[in-house]
Amino acid sequence: MVLSASPITGLDQPGMMATQSTRDGVRTLWVTVDDLRPTLSTLKEHTPALLMLFDLTAIDERERTHRDGQPPADFTVIYHLMSLATRADEVRIKVALLGDRPTLPTISDLWPNANWYEREIWDLFGIRFENHPFLRRILTPPTWTDHPLRKDHYARATEMPPYSLTEEQERHEQDAMRFDPSAWGMQRHSDHSDFMFLNLGPNHPSVHGVFRIILQLEGERIVDAVPDIGFHHRGAEKMGERQSWHTYIPYTDRVDYLGGVMNNFPYVMAVETLAGITPPPRAQMIRVMLAELFRIASHLVFYGTMAQDVGQLSPVFYMFTDRERVFGIIEAICGFRMHPAWFRIGGVAMDLPTGWEDLIRAFVNDLPRRLDEYDAMVMRNPVFRGRTKGVGAYTTAEAVEWGVTGPGLRATGLPWDYRRQAPYACYEQLEFDIPTGANGDCYDRIAVHVEEIRQSLRIIRQCLDHMPAGPIKADHPLTTPPPRARTLHDIETLIHHFLGAAWGPVIPPGEARSCVEATKGLNCYTLVSDGGTTSYRTRIRTPSFAHLQMIPLLGRGVMIADLIAILGSIDFVMADVDR
Amino acid sequence: MYVLPLLSGGLTLVGAMMVVTCPVAVHAVLYLVVTLLSLAMVLAMLGAQFAAALEIIIYAGAIMVLFVFVIMMLNLGQPDRDREKEWLRPRAWIGPGLLAVVACGELLYGLPTLSDPDGAVFPIDARDVGLSLFGTYVLMVELASFLLLAGLVTAFHIGRTLRERP
Amino acid sequence: MTPLPLAPIVLTPLVVLALATVLTWVERRLLGLWQDRYGPNRVGPGGMFQAVADGIKLLFKQDWVPPFADRGVFVLAPAIGMMTVLLSFAVIPLAAGGIAGGLNVGLLFILAMMGLGVYAVVLAGWASDSKYALLGGMRAAAQMISYEVFMALSLLGVVMVAGSFSLRDIVAAQSGLWFIIPQGLGFVVFLLAGIAETHRLPFDLPEGENELGAGFHTEYSGMKFGMFFIAEYAGIVLVSALATTLYLGGGNGLLLPAPVWFALKTGVIVAFFILLRAGLPRPRYDQLMGLGWKVLLPLSLLNVLATGTVMMLRAS
Repeated sequence: MVLSASPITGLDQPGMMATQSTRDGVRTLWVTVDDLRPTLSTLKEHTPALLMLFDLTAIDERERTHRDGQPPADFTVIYHLMSLATRADEVRIKVALLGDRPTLPTISDLWPNANWYEREIWDLFGIRFENHPFLRRILTPPTWTDHPLRKDHYARATEMPPYSLTEEQERHEQDAMRFDPSAWGMQRHSDHSDFMFLNLGPNHPSVHGVFRIILQLEGERIVDAVPDIGFHHRGAEKMGERQSWHTYIPYTDRVDYLGGVMNNFPYVMAVETLAGITPPPRAQMIRVMLAELFRIASHLVFYGTMAQDVGQLSPVFYMFTDRERVFGIIEAICGFRMHPAWFRIGGVAMDLPTGWEDLIRAFVNDLPRRLDEYDAMVMRNPVFRGRTKGVGAYTTAEAVEWGVTGPGLRATGLPWDYRRQAPYACYEQLEFDIPTGANGDCYDRIAVHVEEIRQSLRIIRQCLDHMPAGPIKADHPLTTPPPRARTLHDIETLIHHFLGAAWGPVIPPGEARSCVEATKGLNCYTLVSDGGTTSYRTRIRTPSFAHLQMIPLLGRGVMIADLIAILGSIDFVMADVDR
Repeated sequence: MYVLPLLSGGLTLVGAMMVVTCPVAVHAVLYLVVTLLSLAMVLAMLGAQFAAALEIIIYAGAIMVLFVFVIMMLNLGQPDRDREKEWLRPRAWIGPGLLAVVACGELLYGLPTLSDPDGAVFPIDARDVGLSLFGTYVLMVELASFLLLAGLVTAFHIGRTLRERP
Repeated sequence: MTPLPLAPIVLTPLVVLALATVLTWVERRLLGLWQDRYGPNRVGPGGMFQAVADGIKLLFKQDWVPPFADRGVFVLAPAIGMMTVLLSFAVIPLAAGGIAGGLNVGLLFILAMMGLGVYAVVLAGWASDSKYALLGGMRAAAQMISYEVFMALSLLGVVMVAGSFSLRDIVAAQSGLWFIIPQGLGFVVFLLAGIAETHRLPFDLPEGENELGAGFHTEYSGMKFGMFFIAEYAGIVLVSALATTLYLGGGNGLLLPAPVWFALKTGVIVAFFILLRAGLPRPRYDQLMGLGWKVLLPLSLLNVLATGTVMMLRAS
């Protein structure tokens, strides 16, 4: 690794305890708690390119055995920084913490998006952040008593005594639901008026799932908006610690439930990095093609529901019809529609079916014409423009401060796409443009989405014309399940199949992250293997989580109708936020 | 056939009483609307259909809606109702009530001398109203419009300063 | 005293209610057609009885008043909505002349009823004691009062040309040329204001389902909701019938009998209303008010001015 050539500078300073080598090649440095804030602020000052706090998470190290060369720690907090230069550059800063209830200083004043990440760590690990402005539970209910991602927390209901609700508990739960504005940092009245508090959600037609925003209103104008998430939290990260590497794949599908294989993609790539598998070219291109099909499906939902959110009834029906056709193709290939769980460690589940070319060709030839029609109906509609232009705008600098990636970042005018900046799979061989906006408002975000559909079509057409021949699974003992023909042929492979099915593959110890440019932004899986059949720690960094955190910034001072347009244009999925 | 006019007149009176005695502001406003509507009926039966229609459109249909609008914005609660009830104690209304009774008595006493000798109804249509407004009373109309304009400007001004206060 | 026209008094509300019910089905079928889907097609031929089935469902739903609502006003509000619309039909000169088609302030009567119709929405919003309903009610009050102004002003042109407030006289005045030609500007303003008055998409801000759930009728269910629902559709028929009467020559037309012409013209405008709903997004509250006060008001005043000028030039 050549430090001087990388855009992230300022790392060569005192305070570095150790460096760690990881399977994914991301520079990983250990600092002490005291050096943490100085290190991070120097980094932020000295890096010429935009530096994003990409992810912030923790590991409970107490049961981990393979920690070669790492400083002793009970808990590790990981600051994952990414510079948005021409080539993506990443660095991991790790802090070792000792003790059962460790504390460390907050960095939410350095990067505003650290706020929610730190709350998440507090909620799930019980690690306290000093001077945090609003350290309360974020994913679990306020009445929850433990920290679920700690290793001593149960992972299955069967590890618990049967559940019962006493009257006392019920009263406690009911009390917790009573709304108190001051608990959310809001005033009841100003000098000359009383505020109205409106509970937008968790059950509201325009919050796209179970999501609550508490609005402080003066008339219809929003004084303050506080998002409340966690209603959709299913412990996907905890499940990763008890499912085998292979059987976890279907769970990933359900994280961004509109993205389908977009979730399998980073997960299997991370496992492959750990195991040292390189999938064959055909598998790579099939993966890319399916991912782009899902990008189209997800963007079509976004497009339709966005129009629906500003009151336009019809587009959503047309776009769902098109999405049905995408699903038709996906079903023909995978046998599933929304959650195909079709990627495998080392390749894909099956080869493409006979006649897939015609299906896809008919679709890619037909959709552009229909997109032109939608442009006339939605994008050029004066009422629609009036509702979305100049609404919910943010700058590139703000986007980076808040960890915004994907179309929301590109709408601010920065042509930054992970597929181009750090190409994975076979994106290097494919031609596509990176659509950008100029103002970073709702309209630009929608325009970027629409243009991305066209670019995805372009990519799919290239996949169609240049699909390489060859195997769809890597020739590697950890490929799960192994190629079928060979399983039936030689005993070695049969034994691997048997072990993979009975116990699950044993992945060598190490740490790796893998990122993809998912439908909504950067989707990243960070996996820690302790050399077992399950992951030691599965971290899912989702784009929606970061994007939702911006709502108070965008919502202040606008009207309720604007907030709905902003929510629609952010393009989030609650399952992707809460995991 | 005096049944309809008497019924309307009676409704007007009952409505007006309820306006005063209702503790809930919106209910009072609703009774005021009823009063205005029955008054419009009286006007219509007296032949002033144009005036009746205008009364409903402007008073009942627009001004009173604004009243309701304001009450909705005020967020009145139980304390306000209790205060209203406080004001409805006899010692609060007995004085004005007596005076009103005297005034009504005078009106009843004087009415017979005012009534039209032949009792026929002359319908007055928009044309007549327009001619008298922009003929005989044109000065009054202009003055009234000045007043309205002044009111409009004032309201605009007050609204502006409030909005800009941080 | 003239004898009361009993038959029209009984028949008109029934016909209007039946029309409004059928219209709910027509709208859903048309929307289905325009949105590449079926719409109701199972109950009866072509799904025709869907509206009846819905009506029965609403009738048998529990008649529920939220405990926190102002009970009296809560029940009164939908009734007001229904009554004002039905009363307005009294002066529409249908084939038989209607109940009081010749009322010499007929047009004013309709405006008065529309003015009172605001109460249904505003009071429903207030009486529900729910924040979403309250916001819907407040939006309704501002929107409907404003658009009444533009509607009245746009109608002034017609009244000036016809020289009467009586709808029957206005129809008679169009025997030569429909008023849509000389009063085209007024017609456009009238239609826009009509959509706002019936709070239909794109101007359905009092309901604004994407923002306010269901707006002013969030807390309503069962037949009380049904009344709002039917009143809305009766309102569409009313505005369409009014547009036909005022601008499209009422029942005037070649060959076919007057009622058929009247129904045809009204139907076209109703379909236009539904098409608007299928096609357009909803403007924001301040944009809607801006459109009203900054565009429609000057336009309708201009219309009055132009009409007056032409009439004076003709007279001199």
